[in-house]
Amino acid sequence: MKMWSSFKKELILAARGFYFYVELGFAVVIMLVILFAIPENFSSTNTEYFYFNLPEQGREISKNSLLENDTDGKIEEVEIETGGKVYPAGLIVSDEQEIYIFESEEAVRELADSERNLGVVVELDENNELFYRYYLQGYESTRLKNLLSVLLNESTVVLEERINNQEVRTLTTGFEPITERKNTIPPLVAFSGSLMGMFVMAAYIFLDKKEGVIEAYAVTPSSVWRYLLSKVFVLLLTTVVSGLIIVIPVMGFSINYGLLLLLLLTTGFFASTLGLLIASFYDNMTKAFGVIYLLFFILMVPGIAYFIPGWDPFWVKIIPTYPILQGFKEIILPKGDIVYPLLTSAGFLAGGLVIFALTNIRFKRTLSV
Amino acid sequence: MLKRIWFIFLRDIRINLRELMTVYMLVIPLILAVGINFLSPGINDTSVNLVLVKDENPEQAAYFDDFAHVQLMDNQQEVEYRIAERDDVLGVLAGDNGYYILAQGNEPESVVEYARLLNVLYESEVKLEDARSEIIEFGRTAPPLKKMLVNILLLLITMLAGMLISMNILEEKVDQTVAAINVTPTTRKAFILGKGFTGMFVAIISSIAVILITGFYSINIGQAVLVILSVTIISLVIGFLQGLNSDDFMEAAGSVKLLFLPMAGSIAGYEFVKGNWQIFFYWSPFYWAYRANDMILSKSGSWPQLILYVGIILVICGGIYALLARRIVRGLQ
Repeated sequence: MKMWSSFKKELILAARGFYFYVELGFAVVIMLVILFAIPENFSSTNTEYFYFNLPEQGREISKNSLLENDTDGKIEEVEIETGGKVYPAGLIVSDEQEIYIFESEEAVRELADSERNLGVVVELDENNELFYRYYLQGYESTRLKNLLSVLLNESTVVLEERINNQEVRTLTTGFEPITERKNTIPPLVAFSGSLMGMFVMAAYIFLDKKEGVIEAYAVTPSSVWRYLLSKVFVLLLTTVVSGLIIVIPVMGFSINYGLLLLLLLTTGFFASTLGLLIASFYDNMTKAFGVIYLLFFILMVPGIAYFIPGWDPFWVKIIPTYPILQGFKEIILPKGDIVYPLLTSAGFLAGGLVIFALTNIRFKRTLSV
Repeated sequence: MLKRIWFIFLRDIRINLRELMTVYMLVIPLILAVGINFLSPGINDTSVNLVLVKDENPEQAAYFDDFAHVQLMDNQQEVEYRIAERDDVLGVLAGDNGYYILAQGNEPESVVEYARLLNVLYESEVKLEDARSEIIEFGRTAPPLKKMLVNILLLLITMLAGMLISMNILEEKVDQTVAAINVTPTTRKAFILGKGFTGMFVAIISSIAVILITGFYSINIGQAVLVILSVTIISLVIGFLQGLNSDDFMEAAGSVKLLFLPMAGSIAGYEFVKGNWQIFFYWSPFYWAYRANDMILSKSGSWPQLILYVGIILVICGGIYALLARRIVRGLQ
């Protein structure tokens, strides 16, 4: 009962403040951005520059083989300007590439340099075999350079045929990928909802410390942990409401909302208890700022890994945001794993409880600091 | 007047150093810059991750290592366990008709394609030493992702500087010293400038340090300083907006979140929105700052272009400042 009235009081106070509405408004903006500004799928095309320093016949064969992938089957005549010079080129556009075919090596070199794209010059060596000269920027990895050096050693037709015949087996079947738009939900919900809890919780506590609320609690029949927990609950309510504002319009009712609520609540609980713990070590926001800011950046690193397939070093996986992002992703996947979000929730709940117990001891011992 | 501005500036620095705030503001970007240096080689070297059975075909493992990240496991069972983990790792295992690729089933198509290509190259006996190609490089060392992270960090410094100014003002408000200033010979203008200098000073020092730490020594420092100076005007506007409109740190924290939106939006707009659609971001000084920084970090800009961008930033910030001038003065009363 005391808990409930304490929670109600905190909720009324929060509703009077500015932050509560910023949080909800922010969620609405994010939802609108996802719905209207982020495309269903990003179409990323890369640009390459070619010059075929070959006899007429070889040039035609090379052009025609590139033309097979062109969307309308025609080479478009264009002019490209760089460094005050204009170079005529033939443009071949496919779903993934824009290929410009120039009439000189100079054009390829200039464009590759100024536009930071790959340039390729094809010519014949002394044995009358095709020889490729690549213009690269310099920051490409050795592995990529190795691949480029040998990629065209074998004829592309032969390679393509062999690749198509290359057997691929899978451990699981029936995986349905999600659109890029839906793929942006996990980081947005995690960072804007669950993790902001840490920052906001600390700010709340510093405000109360300043006003002497925590000392005042010591002379009331209510205990400090109830006060702390009622704060956490208010924050969890904000996290859940803002999370749902983002998720429902994009995902509709196609996902398991029970799981989503569970993960939102447990991760939000973990983040806010972390905020509490940090706040217990400092007496104002300014002093705690450095720790919170640095922690926030460390927690953001798995966000980079989330968008780069193939880059998941071990140390990234042990940062708590990694399982949070993966957990939210499993929830929005059409046939996502149920066990993973459950285990993640259990882990964060346990972690949150431990931190909460620690924080309670600290607050009880020090009352204010 | 200049002397008083200088005094206010020195006093702020002294107070901030005592509170460690300025030290944080100066040190955090530097730590993040070191972090970028640490992260970017790994990300740049991202390729497909392959897992093979140890000692089964060492020659194949060595071949793949030239093109991909290779991990070796004791037996097929362990390979399967490894593939079943959450990251994108593919197995190359011996089957009845040569080697097959073993995937979990949820990997992006491009990753599986890459693995197929590598195995085909290996089975076609395409060797590195037989390469009929040469590579000419333009000598650029900073990969695009690193440039992007450094640019984001430079904008974050602006936000940090803005926060520093706003916290300095908040502190005056909480201590009720703003009203006291009104009865001293220090004018409000001097007070504003004095308060602003701390943030600007921090922004300039940290930005230059970040540029140097991340290895962009060869960029045009003159151009960089010009952009940093104009960007600090953004910090100034942010700082005053937050500091004077908030009554406590809670509200200031809320405003920071609100300000992150145009900043993140401008960066995403510049990086992901193509062609003419970028016009929707022209109102944001962050967009122009990001664009100008990108030009400088890529060493591709000309002075007239840069002056145009800086001019736009100044006009936008000046406009916001002019609109809010009355509020700022009122806030100081």
